[in-house]
Formats: sequence, C-alpha cells, structure tokens
Amino acid sequence: MLRIRLSTDLLTGLLFLALGGFAIIYGWNYPVGSAVRMGPGYYPLLVSCGLALLGTILIIRSFFLPGETIGTIALRPLLFVLIGTLVFGLLVERTGFVLASIVLVFAARLADRDFRFTEVALLAALLIALIAGLFWLGLSLPLKPFVF
Amino acid sequence: MEFLDNLGLGMSVALAPVNLLYGFLGVVLGTIIGVLPGLGPVATISILLPVTFTLQPQAAMIMLAGIYYGAQYGGSTTAILVNLPGESSSVVTCIDGYQMARQGKAGLALATAALASFLAGTIATFVIAFAAPALAEFALEFGPADYFSLMIFGLVAAVILAHGSVIKAIGMILTGILLGTIGIDANSSVPRYTFHIPQFGDGIDFAVIAMGVFGIGETIANLGRGAEAREYIKNYKGLWPSPKDLASIVAPALRGTALGSALGILPGGGPVLSSFSAYALEKKIAREPDRFGRGAIEGVAGPEAANNAAAQTAFIPLLTLGLPSSPVMALMIGALMMHGLHAGPQLVREQPDLFWGLVASMWIGNLMLVILNLPLVGIWAKMLTVPYRLLYPSILLICCIGVYSIHNDTLDVVIASVFGLVGYVLHRLQCEPAPMLLGFILGPLIEEHLRRALLISHGDPMIFVDRPISLTFLLLAGALVLLLCAPMIRSTRERVFVEEES
Repeated sequence: MLRIRLSTDLLTGLLFLALGGFAIIYGWNYPVGSAVRMGPGYYPLLVSCGLALLGTILIIRSFFLPGETIGTIALRPLLFVLIGTLVFGLLVERTGFVLASIVLVFAARLADRDFRFTEVALLAALLIALIAGLFWLGLSLPLKPFVF
Repeated sequence: MEFLDNLGLGMSVALAPVNLLYGFLGVVLGTIIGVLPGLGPVATISILLPVTFTLQPQAAMIMLAGIYYGAQYGGSTTAILVNLPGESSSVVTCIDGYQMARQGKAGLALATAALASFLAGTIATFVIAFAAPALAEFALEFGPADYFSLMIFGLVAAVILAHGSVIKAIGMILTGILLGTIGIDANSSVPRYTFHIPQFGDGIDFAVIAMGVFGIGETIANLGRGAEAREYIKNYKGLWPSPKDLASIVAPALRGTALGSALGILPGGGPVLSSFSAYALEKKIAREPDRFGRGAIEGVAGPEAANNAAAQTAFIPLLTLGLPSSPVMALMIGALMMHGLHAGPQLVREQPDLFWGLVASMWIGNLMLVILNLPLVGIWAKMLTVPYRLLYPSILLICCIGVYSIHNDTLDVVIASVFGLVGYVLHRLQCEPAPMLLGFILGPLIEEHLRRALLISHGDPMIFVDRPISLTFLLLAGALVLLLCAPMIRSTRERVFVEEES
C-alpha cells in the first residue's frame, strides 16, 4: 500500500500536459498542410494542443482548489496482476497456453493475501480444462496447449 | 402494413432455430456476467468478438445484443440480494432493492426489477422499430459537414453526461482521439505515432483497449478496494407480485422507460446515467420522498426500466447513423465489420433481415430473460456464493485468451496489460474511462469528415453553419455548453451522481 497525498487534479493535469507535449514533439515532422488540404499532422496537432492546454488549466486550478487526493495505491494487486498478464503474453506462443495459464492464475492469486496452494492449483487445472474444451476444441481458436 | 410486414420478416429471422439458440446463449451469458460483479458486457463482448466471425451476421448480432441487455437484468439480482452492483447500471437498485430484501420482500423486489425491465424492453423494441427506419431515411441526406457536427454534438453530450469533473472528461476524450490517430494515415500514407512497431500501422484494436481498461484495470481496482463482508439474502420467496403491487410498478416503470429510451440514444448516456436519472426523478415526484432508501418499490421499478430501455435504444444511433454511443456499441460495429457490413443509414434498407431480425430478437430475448430471471433466480443466486478470489483469476485468464485470439498476436496481450495499468491509474485519478473510449472510436471519423467537408468547401469553415442539419447540431451542442455553465444545472448534475453514492 502506498499513500499519495497529491491532488488528483494536479496529477491528471501533469499527465495531460505530458501526453499533449509528447504528441506535439513526436509529431513535429508530420506535414500540417492547410485547412483545404489537411496534412497528416493537422488533426493530431490540434488535439494535442488542446490536451496540453487542458492539462495546464488543471495544474493551475489545483493550486487554488485542492480537491481530492489520490489516496492509497494497491501496489500488490497492481504488480502481480500485470506481471501475470504480461508473462502470459510472453509465454502463450512460446510454451503453449497450459503453462501460460498456470503462471497467470498463480500470479493473479498472489495479488491477494489469501493464497492457498491446493485451491489455486485446482482452480488453474479447472480453468485450463475449460479453455481447452471451449476455446481450443469447441471454438477451434488457433491456440496450442504445449510447444516443445 | 409495411411495418407489420417488416416485423413479420424480423420474427421469421429471430425465430429461426439457429438465431433462437444464439439469442438464448446471449441472454444466458448476459445474465451470468450481469450477476457476477467485476465482469461486464464490454469485456465479455470483446472476448466473444473473434468467435462470432464463424457465425452468420444475424446470429452474431442477436447474441451480442442479448449479452448487453441481458446484463441489465442480471445486475439487479446481485444488487437486491447482496447489495453489490452486478453491473454499474444497477448501482441505484442497491439502495431500495436491498432494503426491500432485508424487509423480507426480496421476491417482490426481484419480480419488480424483472417485470419493469420487461415492460421497458417491450416498449423500447417498438421505439427502435418505429424510430430507426425513419431516422435512417433522414440520415441518407447527411453530408460530411453534418456528420462532423453530429459527432461534435455527441462528444459534448458525452462530456455533460459523464460522471465527475468536466475538464477531466474533455481531456479523456482528447486522449482517446489522440490514441485513435495511431496508425497509417489513410489520406497521405504517413505513419503517425507508430513508434516503428509494424502492428501499429493499422492502429490499436478497440477490443484490446476495452479489455485492458475494463477487464484488467477493473480487476486491479476491485482487489485494491479489499474484501467487504456482505450480508447475503437467501430468502426470496413470493416472487409473484399481488395486483396491488403490480399497479404500483406500472407508472414508475413507464416513466423510467421514457427517460431511458431518450437517454439511451445520446452518446455517453446509456444505462448507467438512465438509472441514476430515473431514481432522481422518482424521488422528486414521490409524495413521501422519505420512503426512498428504505425500500421504496418505485426506486427499483424506475431505474431498472430505465437501464434496460437505454441498453436497447442505444442501438438506434448505431444502426441508423453508424455512430456508436458507447464502448459496447463500438464493439457491435466491429462485429458488423468482421462480416463486411457497415453500420449506417443504408443498413436498414440493404440488410432488412439483419435489422428487423435484431429488433424482433430483442423482444424475444426480453421474454426469455423474464423466465430466466424469475422462476430460475435460484440458479443465479447460487452463483453469487462463488468467492471473488476464484472469480477474478478466471476473468483475467479469459480476458488474456480473448485478447490473444483477436489477431493471434502476443503484442496485443502486452498492449492490453499496459491499458490495464492505464485503467487503474485513471481509476485512482477519478477519470472516467468511457469518454476516452468514445473519443478513440469517434476521433478517426471526425478527422475523416472534417477533411472531406473542408475539401468540398475549399477550406471555408462556413460550410458547418451553412448546412441546416449541421447548424442544428452545432446549435444543440452550443445549448448544451450553455446549460453546463448555468449554475443550477451544474449543481443538479453533481447532486444526481453524488447523492446516490454516499
């Protein structure tokens, strides 16, 4: 658990400003063209300027109106869930969906404190059977159970 | 007579055994995900999208639509029995539905929700059948400038109807539009924001973002909230309401239906807003507003009718203008596109069996849902005993398999994970993800129509004011902005959302 006391407005503003600024800089070389013949850069430039402007407004406003703070960040679920899905993505083609699913289910259950090994193992087995039956055999999605 | 012929055609399509079967599958699945908190229609439809490719387009649309409105029925069961919204649109049903259940009237609350939803579903089906073909005829006149102004109006409406800060909602829309520009520009073949990743050339798939934000991101947010002990109501006898109860349901259900049908058409409106507004309306016109929050039957009938009506009328802008008003509708466009069909004004005329089949299937689906949700409510209630610690790994795994199956590309799973992180960050920043997804869908369309309109007018922006249809939409958008600035509306808007949550 991580507690952040910054206001949500300030952080959202910074995020909008950063994203808009990045889009302006990264898209700097896209031809802008004119209103009649718009280049590929015209529309993104318009939108990213708007985003940067909104970000600035939010940042300035946050100094006058503090608003709500971000509060606690659930670090443990955040880390384990994302590790689980990322590793699933990396493994599903290389080792097949069986191993990838086992890793995902275990990682996901570690996100919660109440971890019981047999229960998680049973859950993984059940889900793999479901995926094999429904998605692999039933709907013939191009999944491979194992890759050697 | 033409109308009856069309309905007859629709019935013959909807009653074909295959379509009946997929319609049934859709509403069962919809009820299941509606009952289960943490799994919503966006993630479910995204997962099933690759699967529908093998089906006939009618069967595919009938099933996917069934999931969406079926979820509105299922969500109320959880709200009433566990005081937990199964769907975000059943948040307000928790207030009075759960109170009724605690007073031993759970059966009556469940019946009220199901019957009000059925009444709303029946009326909304007729609203679509009457309004959509006329609107499609009218929409054939639309030029690029008109579409542009219509979408601007839609986005303004989405901002106003979004929950919480207006500036954040506009920012989320712009963020979505920016994400939508990723890919090779169709007019100039210049790759934009592709970061030299070949798969980004075609842009990011909408379903991948939707599953990341709504599947993975929501799961993290739910886990962060921690487990709460909930009192679970097991006694739901007395499902059949007395004539006196029935009489007290009809008026609020009709009001909810009217409100939901209207709000469902607006972008960003949809079931959630409709149910909130219907609750606020019922409370306002009640003779004894004090009863609300203590088990008022109107507080269940109104919102439940409204969310079901809205879930169905949301199909009107999709089928007539080709404009999705919500993330779910955007997925429907994706489903149509997989079969080479384009949502838009031509659809009603060129695919009458698809259009009328879908409309007829909605009424049949609603009938199935009443049966599924009243006599069989025990089955769904059992499902609620499955603890979340077993549920969420299943949701994550099915999401990941679904994301991977869209293009059989592992990069999509990585992108979905990134959007899972984005979804959680937005949750903590109190930014609604729905406007971002709406911007993502409408962004490329807006650019396309803006370019075309200005090309036709030789760069003269007056084209948006000179065309009467376009001018009307811009004036409407302007009126909405003025409304937003009016302090009275602003405080009402905040009250509608804040009051019910505290």
